[in-house]
Amino acid sequence: MERLYVDGNSARFTRKDICLVDMELFGGETVEDLEPRRLFPVSGRMKYISLLDSEGKEHAIIRDVESLPPESKEVITECLREYYLIPKITGLLERSEKYGILKWTVKTDRGVQQLRIRNRNSDIKQLYDGRILIRDSNDNRYEIIDYKKLDKKSLQLLSADI
Amino acid sequence: MTVESVLTNKDVPAEIMQAFENAGRSGEQLLFVIVGDLSLKAEYGETALAATESGFMVYDPSREEPLRTYLHADVSEAAVKRMYGNARLRVKFRDGSQEDVFRFTYAVATLADMAANFIEKISGGSPAEEEYDAVCATYEKLMNVCPKCGRTLLHAGAECINCQSKGKIAKKLVKYIKPEMKTLVICLFLSLVTTAVALVPPFMTGRLVDQVLPEKNRGMLGWIVLGLFSTYLFQYLIGILRGYLLRVSGDRIVLNLRNDVYKKAQSLPLRFYDKTSTGSVINRISGDTNTLQAFMLRISQEVVVQLFLGIGIIVIMLVLNWRLTLLSLIPVPLVVVGAKIFGRKILPFYRRIWRRWAGVVSVLTDTIPNIRVTKSFAGEERTVNKFKSYNDAWFSVDTSAAKISTVFPNVVSFFVTCGSLLIWSVGGNWVISGTGGLTTGLLVAFLSYASMFYGPVNFFAYLNDSYQQALSAAEKVFDILDAEDEADDAKGNCPPIKGKIEFRNVNFSFDRTKKVLSDVNITIQPGEIVGIVGTTGSGKSTLVNLLMRFYDNYEGEILVDGENVKNIDLQYFRSQIGYVQQDPMMFSDTVYNNIAYGKPSAHVEEVIHAADVANAHEFIARQPDGYDTMLGERGVGLSGGERQRVSIARAVLKNPSLLIFDEATAAVDSETEHLIQEAIERLISGRTTLMIAHRLSTLRKANRIIVVDQGKIIENDTPEALMAMKGKYYKLVQIQTMADQLAKSKQEENFE
Repeated sequence: MERLYVDGNSARFTRKDICLVDMELFGGETVEDLEPRRLFPVSGRMKYISLLDSEGKEHAIIRDVESLPPESKEVITECLREYYLIPKITGLLERSEKYGILKWTVKTDRGVQQLRIRNRNSDIKQLYDGRILIRDSNDNRYEIIDYKKLDKKSLQLLSADI
Repeated sequence: MTVESVLTNKDVPAEIMQAFENAGRSGEQLLFVIVGDLSLKAEYGETALAATESGFMVYDPSREEPLRTYLHADVSEAAVKRMYGNARLRVKFRDGSQEDVFRFTYAVATLADMAANFIEKISGGSPAEEEYDAVCATYEKLMNVCPKCGRTLLHAGAECINCQSKGKIAKKLVKYIKPEMKTLVICLFLSLVTTAVALVPPFMTGRLVDQVLPEKNRGMLGWIVLGLFSTYLFQYLIGILRGYLLRVSGDRIVLNLRNDVYKKAQSLPLRFYDKTSTGSVINRISGDTNTLQAFMLRISQEVVVQLFLGIGIIVIMLVLNWRLTLLSLIPVPLVVVGAKIFGRKILPFYRRIWRRWAGVVSVLTDTIPNIRVTKSFAGEERTVNKFKSYNDAWFSVDTSAAKISTVFPNVVSFFVTCGSLLIWSVGGNWVISGTGGLTTGLLVAFLSYASMFYGPVNFFAYLNDSYQQALSAAEKVFDILDAEDEADDAKGNCPPIKGKIEFRNVNFSFDRTKKVLSDVNITIQPGEIVGIVGTTGSGKSTLVNLLMRFYDNYEGEILVDGENVKNIDLQYFRSQIGYVQQDPMMFSDTVYNNIAYGKPSAHVEEVIHAADVANAHEFIARQPDGYDTMLGERGVGLSGGERQRVSIARAVLKNPSLLIFDEATAAVDSETEHLIQEAIERLISGRTTLMIAHRLSTLRKANRIIVVDQGKIIENDTPEALMAMKGKYYKLVQIQTMADQLAKSKQEENFE
């Protein structure tokens, strides 16, 4: 089965809805109402973006969003930004632990948030590049881009849990 | 309609409440308010959705006009669109327009689902009173959370299993120490005796220096040497006895603890294993229990001994020379402060070391059992590299910890040793000048006691360190011991099962990110053979998992013979179900024991009969070791089809009331499929049977077919009716018939 890969100028995207785009291929063929979804939400956020219709059928894969023309790139980036809410934690303001449950108050790029972490062993995942992925008790996700770059107080609070 | 009070998930900010009240129709009450946590622009902040009988309102401060009101009558559809880390309530209006009215994180997703359902049902003409009951039920369920830790409780007012058992670690560990109390008390007594005896030699040495040597008293010298010899002999003999007793009782403590953890691990719900790697569970059972044992012995023995030793030494030192005693106490605060700083620095390292080590173990448990796959894909080098990288990660953390754990105590010890120089210089001057009533022997004895004194001081200073280490291990062990068991509130309720199965409004998601089943309603009569079909990931197996009670956290009800399955004894209920999987698991045991797994007391002939029914007897009889054939791990030594037949024999022997086949013939060739099919047909007669199947040919005996698609039941009727309907099932049959024909013609081509 041939999979359709899209990059560079091979397709143009226009925004249809908050998370929907229309795709016009170089040959003139158009597909409407496609939802861009990351195939690698953790490891390669702007590469290999799947375009699904309302039935969940994939119509194409964008190899690299960076390679798209500026307007299309903006459209796809915006859609992904709306779909994926993974607040970036920029600082830890408070940390407490009671009954084995961690309570963090964090500063994120979306504002200040309080979250509960049930199990520090399975819900805080430290990757090798300094990135830390966090899942709270409601299954919301958060990310620390590089924990080594956090301020001193945040690092000190974080060090108890990583 | 009137309600007693407005349902809310948390306190509604006064400003928002005021806005709702001002905007509502006069005389109309708010029914419920959902306080959200995310604006439509994806910024954190308080938003809210409120519903009344005639409409709903949304307050979102990120909009120019924060408040918007809508009428139920204008709505044609309302649904929650789940995205990644957030979701939206999307409403379609009768005029064709649509709007995302409310955005939120998964914290309020369940309530938003309920609100969407409420709005849509009312807009479709359903009476508000009726729908309000469902709203109340959702709020009630959501509010059943422990006020201390926020975990969901089994029912309103139930005690939180998590908090109930969270006491002081020592208190919990007492349970394991108690049975060994007698031996431990004996050991303690022996320790006190050896400690008391240990105080004698320095005193004798002092006498030796002060009297025996200057007076050249050979007779006395012999007696003192003999006395010292007896003291040492006594000390070491008691030491041997104590060591043996301690080892045995220590082993017994770890034995009981390990048994308990393993037993608990068996009764944990699958939900636990979905989130925790088996490697880390194994690590807890094997490694952490040992750390805890060491700690328990330390607490129950050493604390008393060291305390006794410390007091004994200080009393003797005070008697010998109180001024020198005060001098030798100077480094004590340094040791205490140093130990405190050390404890604070080292704890995160213990946790990190544990995590890295759990990583190493998880690579082991992943790759060693899968060694066949590794070899067949020539992945040895990759596996070795992966293991190496995890091992290196452990090494680097352990090395960092080693720096702290070796440098820190040694620096403190250095200062303590320097303390003895203080005694030498001051005490030595006193001996030389003949002041302070100090003799050379007394000074030597004093120095021996002073060096002994830092033993207890160090012990108590670093007790916190071993406590931290134990705390880290205890956390992991009690993570299992305190975890919520599979809910089994109906122990002893074992009604005979005829086989009627009902799913009522069942909704389920593994986590809140994606609904796996939505609004499932099915009724299956006793004795019916029901085929469940659908594409991969459509939710077929989840239906069965819920029926088997592998997951209990679903909404709605599942009933068997009219009784909620949660009200039936869990073990009894599962014993009434014959479950045949696609890739049946075999234990490293004989074929016989593998068949008799569900009924170990079965008579030999019963087992042979079961194997016969399952078309397994013949191939077993052909094995050189017959029923005694030992299977390797995961059933190595049998083909896929043979393993499948052994697992059917297992089910036959159980004589279950309900049968579940989960893709039982998916992984075998057509001839074996025929044999298995035959076995299945013998087994199902008269029993309610659920058959999940990819190959529709497996379902030829089914008198009803349920088609599952994206978690919903889209078709549910007899095969004939579904064929006539020309829906999804019809399409699936068409596709498979085409594929079969193609395969057949290819085969014929090859023969020609």
